[in-house]
Amino acid sequence: MAIYRVKRIVLESFPVLTAGMIIALAAGYMLNSSIQKIAELPMILMMIPPINGIGGNIGSILGARLTSALHLGTLEPRLRGQLVLQKNMAASALVSFIIFLLIGAIFFAIAYASGIPIARSFSLALAFFIAGIALTTAVMFVTITSAFVSFRGGLDPDNVVIPIVTSIGDVLGVTCLLVAITIVGV
Amino acid sequence: MAREVKVRSIVAPGLSILFLCALIELGAGKVFEEMQEYFITLLPGLIVMVPPLLGLRGNINGALASRLGTALNAGLIEPRLALSAEIKVNLASSLILSIIASATIGVFAFGVNLLTSAPTIGVLELMVKLIAIAVFAGFLSGLILVLLTVLVAITSYARGWDPDNITSPTMATIGDFVTIACIYLAVLLVV
Repeated sequence: MAIYRVKRIVLESFPVLTAGMIIALAAGYMLNSSIQKIAELPMILMMIPPINGIGGNIGSILGARLTSALHLGTLEPRLRGQLVLQKNMAASALVSFIIFLLIGAIFFAIAYASGIPIARSFSLALAFFIAGIALTTAVMFVTITSAFVSFRGGLDPDNVVIPIVTSIGDVLGVTCLLVAITIVGV
Repeated sequence: MAREVKVRSIVAPGLSILFLCALIELGAGKVFEEMQEYFITLLPGLIVMVPPLLGLRGNINGALASRLGTALNAGLIEPRLALSAEIKVNLASSLILSIIASATIGVFAFGVNLLTSAPTIGVLELMVKLIAIAVFAGFLSGLILVLLTVLVAITSYARGWDPDNITSPTMATIGDFVTIACIYLAVLLVV
């Protein structure tokens, strides 16, 4: 007997995929609106897959760990006095701090090697680092909220948290990067 | 008794995998940067499609990886590299979704462009080009990545690793690189 059916997989997946598409279109629209800035500083494009990828991975790992802990009962869906939650948050924050620092340093090297003056290379790398830290904070908030809300609502957080976190993370990644570049004044 | 969670035991293994993924994403970023001429002058509006196409690829593959992981762990699929009926259904669904959803992205991206900026080429030409690039890139990257996902899921299970922990992060990262490369190829062919 066939367990999987093409029709069922396609019909069940399409609405979720469309929701993700519409959220991601917002990120595409923001990039298109900043096309003048990108023309002046094409390295912005090179920063987008890493920032979205790292943000998505940190959210997915935290999400997977929290949903497992919720299922196992070692974590309750509330904020106060949850040791498992605190340690996971501390670990995510530490990992993202180290990774964004390292990748920021690589961007500094690439920018400087491609002929951008040292001060501007530094502000570009600084903007990437600040955007990464802001993104991690936002992604952690979205992950914890969606895990707790879906668990309390009786949904399996395994099915809900990761698609939400990666879709929203992509939009937030582009937003944080463009805002950080404006604030640092690259 | 609750097992103690140690911050270091979460950080140490995660860090090396994340760093490796970040390096591959840098490669994807480099390809993205190479396409700047197309975004700025040759086909303005194209960039609107890139985040949705990347996201779609990740979502379709993530769901496939997750179904395969469940099916392998539950013994519904044997860990052999053979096209059983269950695997064929999973492959076919993912490819059908890739085509339909990519075409939808092309239409949406065209709509966003029409509403927010004055097109620099004919409206019909813009629509045909955007949809053609989306479908070609979506289908080609789908074909490559769906086969890779099956390969990674089955080999990791056969080696005694839990595919749930391996397939999704690996494929998400490789997926971004392959998808951007396929978008670039589609753009080169269409524009």
